[in-house]
Amino acid sequence: MTRFDQLLSVLVRHGVQFIIVGGAAATVHGSARLTQDLDIVYHRTDENLERLIRSLAPYQPYLRGAPPNLPFKWNKETVQAGLNFTLITSLGAIDLLGEITGGGTYENLLPDSVQIQVFGIECMCLSLKRLIEVKKATGRVRDFEAIAELEAILEEKKRSGI
Amino acid sequence: MEVSRTGEKMDPIVEAYKKEIDRTLIRENLRRTVQERFENLMELQRLADELRRAGKKLEEIP
Repeated sequence: MTRFDQLLSVLVRHGVQFIIVGGAAATVHGSARLTQDLDIVYHRTDENLERLIRSLAPYQPYLRGAPPNLPFKWNKETVQAGLNFTLITSLGAIDLLGEITGGGTYENLLPDSVQIQVFGIECMCLSLKRLIEVKKATGRVRDFEAIAELEAILEEKKRSGI
Repeated sequence: MEVSRTGEKMDPIVEAYKKEIDRTLIRENLRRTVQERFENLMELQRLADELRRAGKKLEEIP
């Protein structure tokens, strides 16, 4: 199980700049679909990479689904050399995304993000409208149902004036 | 592509999927706080893990 509460708290406590995207963002907006991991787009500045490394280091981040005993080192060099990381930690599954298809980087997405309050912390989450656009841009067949649900949520929100 | 009454483009595939969406679940979720939505998600994950474990046990039975 992924401890969304603890992962988000750890990231915020370390001052990591990030935006919740993907299935967890859909949950924020009211989706009833089951998602297994926390997807975040992180700011790729030197300082933020250091904060990100420090925040997750105690939770043994490792490449999700990879064979054990690979020479994977969780440090700044590793994160600088890559962009998107699909990780498993002792707090659960987390995807760290330097950029996303149809959305771009943290800076690109920040104007289309909303601040949320959850588990006693404040963090940024991609807006519902932008989330739908991003899902559509990926063009994956498996996302059609998710897009349909997100559009239905948008309609329900408009209908009820939320 | 069709256009909705509010002027938005409608994707026929998405519209077809939309007909199958259970809006009572959405309405129920929209009444919850964001924290309650996450707590509900973690509860669902816990249940899914339990079901997976039970399924594995069944496979082990000769």
